[in-house]
Amino acid sequence: MGRFAFANVTSRLCGNRIVFLCSLFLAISIGSSIQSWAASDSMVDPAWKDYKQVSGVSGNLNSIGSDTLNNLMTLWAEGFRKEYPNVKIQIEGKGSSTAPPALIEGTAQLGPMSRQMKAKEMDKFEAKFGYKATNFPVAVDALAVYVNKDNPVKCMSMEEVDAAFSKTRRRGHSVDIDAWGKAGLDGNWKRTRVSLYGRNSASGTYGFFKKKVLKKGDYKDEVKEQPGSASVVQGVTEDRGGLGYSGIGYRTSGVRAIPLSAKSGEGCFDPTFANASAGKYPLARFLYLYVNKAPGKPLPPLVAQFLTYVYSKAGQKIVIKDGYFPLPQTIITKKLGDTQ
Amino acid sequence: MPDRIKKFLDSGALFIWFCGTAVAASLLMVGGVLLLIMINGLGFFWPHALVEMTLTDGTRVLGELKGEEVIPYSQTPEFPEGRTRVRLKVGNRDLYGLDFRWVDTDRIATADSPNDVAAFERREWGNFYGRIREVARGDDVVATGNQEGWKALQPLIERANDLHDEIEHLQRDVIGDINFEIEGTRLRIRELELRGQREAPEVSELQAATKQLETQYRKHVATLRALSRQLDEYSVVLVETNGSEKRLAVGQIVKALRPNDMGLIEKILRYFVNFWSVLSEEPREANTEGGIFPAIFGTVMMVLIMSVAVVPFGVLAAFYLREYARQGLIVRVIRIAVNNLAGVPSIVFGVFGLGFFVYAVGGTIDTLFYPEALPTPTFGTGGILWASFTLALLTVPVVIVSTEEGLSAVPQEYREGSLALGATKFESMLRVILPCALPGILTGLILAVARATGEVAPLMLTGVVKLAPALPLDHHFPFLHFERKFMHLGFHIFDVGFQSPNVEAAKPMVYVTTLILVMVVIGLNLSAVALRNYMQKKFKASAV
Repeated sequence: MGRFAFANVTSRLCGNRIVFLCSLFLAISIGSSIQSWAASDSMVDPAWKDYKQVSGVSGNLNSIGSDTLNNLMTLWAEGFRKEYPNVKIQIEGKGSSTAPPALIEGTAQLGPMSRQMKAKEMDKFEAKFGYKATNFPVAVDALAVYVNKDNPVKCMSMEEVDAAFSKTRRRGHSVDIDAWGKAGLDGNWKRTRVSLYGRNSASGTYGFFKKKVLKKGDYKDEVKEQPGSASVVQGVTEDRGGLGYSGIGYRTSGVRAIPLSAKSGEGCFDPTFANASAGKYPLARFLYLYVNKAPGKPLPPLVAQFLTYVYSKAGQKIVIKDGYFPLPQTIITKKLGDTQ
Repeated sequence: MPDRIKKFLDSGALFIWFCGTAVAASLLMVGGVLLLIMINGLGFFWPHALVEMTLTDGTRVLGELKGEEVIPYSQTPEFPEGRTRVRLKVGNRDLYGLDFRWVDTDRIATADSPNDVAAFERREWGNFYGRIREVARGDDVVATGNQEGWKALQPLIERANDLHDEIEHLQRDVIGDINFEIEGTRLRIRELELRGQREAPEVSELQAATKQLETQYRKHVATLRALSRQLDEYSVVLVETNGSEKRLAVGQIVKALRPNDMGLIEKILRYFVNFWSVLSEEPREANTEGGIFPAIFGTVMMVLIMSVAVVPFGVLAAFYLREYARQGLIVRVIRIAVNNLAGVPSIVFGVFGLGFFVYAVGGTIDTLFYPEALPTPTFGTGGILWASFTLALLTVPVVIVSTEEGLSAVPQEYREGSLALGATKFESMLRVILPCALPGILTGLILAVARATGEVAPLMLTGVVKLAPALPLDHHFPFLHFERKFMHLGFHIFDVGFQSPNVEAAKPMVYVTTLILVMVVIGLNLSAVALRNYMQKKFKASAV
């Protein structure tokens, strides 16, 4: 009884918004236009430097970690091998949680992660080596919340996203958003169930979303946990009521990345490069490469050169090619200092 | 009437009908799956026509038509069936951001398929669809206009592809050899150091050799640079349908096609060329483009190593269980255990393989035989050998069970006759029983191969990677490199289908890979069947 009353109150409160959304629905469905925010040239920072080869770089490089970064690592590896045909790079990407053990065991020199190391993981690393693992942010990802391309929802606040994905609703939204009507949609969308797609728990994306959106609350049991970021997008493409989260690099024509607002009532921002770098989009994050660097000692030349390549013009253009956002030169300059 | 029904039931014809229906249903399901894969996979190689549309707002769209659907809930009195929209592959990812685009049908003013538009397959950023504005060498324009440019471009692309082949040869074979030697000398030096012979004369010799190799390497790298510069010598300015320009080095283009200008025979030829290039080429762009040769190679090789490992094990175990062991409680327990082993999920085998083979056995091998390479593991990390062994464990029950079946089908008189003629038990096993049981053994192998080829989960823990830098078989001694990681068709499907950022564009690749995986399974099975028939004939003749 109580829940029904609540729903009524909110729908009455949101009445104005529904009218507004209806007109938007028309606008979008007529438009079905392409949001061409990914025109690649606009993200290029003229300050990026060309990569210069150095001599004496050879050997094997193993990378174990994030699957979000898997393609990026592969593309970098392809590019790096063009510079140094004598380097062998092997890449495994089964989830960010696989990176710390690999670094600790020494089976990998590079640990790509789509989140920062947890305190527990860092402690284990420190227990073995006596110092902390060093992270290098290598790209910016805007974690996008995707809906089916037909879904007219204009914007969702973080509270609403939390209420859709979480059973604990730590952000304090009053109702559980289990149907699109509760997110302010009307017409035949009103009763369409929200069908949730997420990642499996080894994924850094899963952890990041849980921390940032759910405030460490619990996911609903009915979230369909997918083995890869691309399958989240596939699921939402096929499922009309779908709602899922995945990196911006995985966007396709079958889904729409909706604008998000940090708080209900505040402005909504698309997951674009401009919004992510201005800090307006609430779910922007760094993607990292973790390495084992003893303090006061330089990195092994191979690892150092790989990082230099990643931070070069060629490396950052690859970031754009893979659909993520590149780093500003200010961060690059600072971090390049750390490789020495 | 009831009489006739009773007669029909008594005759058993009903049961035959049931059996027939069951067979038909299974055939239908297998056929359906194959058909689905083939429809989706085989279309990939066909040069599709390009459609150029003008929309009602005056903008233009050029691309391949990739399907049509009714917009949900768009039924109005005017359109009782609902409005429709079409999906186009518009390519030009660097300009548009996405490869695909939906266009509502009622927004299309005109649609046409002009002969002068071309699809350019590029080494990066996917396809470009459009026309040529000019071809230039450095700053000098060589040809202007679409027609002239097209003519000028053809030989240039061919030359660029030859250059790419040359570069690849230089990188993989020549420089690859030098690297292999350098790595060998490095490890040898380290080995001597570990033994405390840092001052040995051999060390300085090896160091000198390394220096020489490095000089050679630098020379080849210089050649490589020069070749790469040649690739950038010519450039082409392409225009997309709305007039935006894109300058591109000719070396970036893999091939250019004008599908609307091609005849049927030309298209068919192109179809087979495309098919072959997928089979024979290396993957590009994080596996979403190019070929899948390393994955085919890895799959076949892993299955072969697995077969070599599983058959002796399984056959010996089955012989012991059936011929030597006293049939009793223990043997029955073992048999039940073996049968249950076949039901253990494959991922459990993967975990076992990781813990036992990779960490325990591999780690020990590394500390005993490859201390010079540590901390980089040699066998202490996933590799093709451990993956094959894990799959051998997974499939050994199948071989045991079918070998036992084969053995139990050998008439008791054969054994007694052989013994009565003075053969020892071992001799009669080897000469009489084994040949008779051979069909059973090989049936087991066929089943094992079929099971192993399709298995992915355990491999992910024991040595499969997205991109392997080298094949596990090459011309360097000892030729077979058991410690290397490898690529696998099944994992490729998983990776491209679930992990690739451009999943829309990569989807056909998933079906193609699936199709080829099915073909590989069929191929491996047929060769096992051929082997069985051959052995059967041969041993029948010699056993009599």
